[in-house]
Amino acid sequence: MHKQIFVNLSVKDLSRSKEFWSNLGYSFEAKFTNDQGACMVLGENLFVMLLIEEFFAGFTNKPISDARERTEVLNCLSCDSREHVDSLVSKAKAAGATVPKEPVDHGFMYVHGFHDIDGHGWEFVHMVAEGDCK
Amino acid sequence: MHTQIFVNLPVKDLARAKEFWSSLGYSFDAKFAGEKSACIILGESILVMLLVEDLFAGFAHKPVCDAHERVEVLHALTCDNREHVDTLIAKARAAGATIPDEADDDGFMYAQGFYDLDGHGWNCCAWSTEAECK
Repeated sequence: MHKQIFVNLSVKDLSRSKEFWSNLGYSFEAKFTNDQGACMVLGENLFVMLLIEEFFAGFTNKPISDARERTEVLNCLSCDSREHVDSLVSKAKAAGATVPKEPVDHGFMYVHGFHDIDGHGWEFVHMVAEGDCK
Repeated sequence: MHTQIFVNLPVKDLARAKEFWSSLGYSFDAKFAGEKSACIILGESILVMLLVEDLFAGFAHKPVCDAHERVEVLHALTCDNREHVDTLIAKARAAGATIPDEADDDGFMYAQGFYDLDGHGWNCCAWSTEAECK
């Protein structure tokens, strides 16, 4: 079992990406941040490493996929409430994200998402606790 | 802040992918499983949704990236120690993963990665206790 995850993603313009995610209310871990990469704190044990493309490329022997063209991953984050989901998507839209669809309400689960300014897909989900479910 | 992440990844053959991750010692959460999906428990806060490509494509709004050809994301997982890293890599290799590089030991961190059967990149890393203490 693992305690922490670091989601490594490539970005075209690190300062723009940092500004985008700051607008959503996230902060950065200074210990793992420099001019080639920034460590964003998503939760106690959840982190994203935003890496400029040439630095990211050093960690893989394959070409970098352009996330605006195709998708390898959708990272989905749990939220405290529907309002938390709505607030993040609304801030993301204002900061330049693409919001391809309306929120989906499954009753037990409320989901909405966006593509960030590099095209990486994110989803935000609020799940109703089992006891709350009618 | 978020308590959980669900990493959604496309897979070509769900049964084979489940067998691969089982071989590494992980279990699945039946609550989030369907005919076309499985939820691997990587940690208390870290879950992976394996989705067959047509199901994944329905969420992606873009063509699905073939991770054998290109990389959008590399997920790094913290491990308890070097032996934990080595064990996972050995099991992954035996189960058909590609191991592109030797283990990387730079003093404060010991890490090695693999590409799973679908080409998705994973990195297993253990911080040195000494580094943490400084």
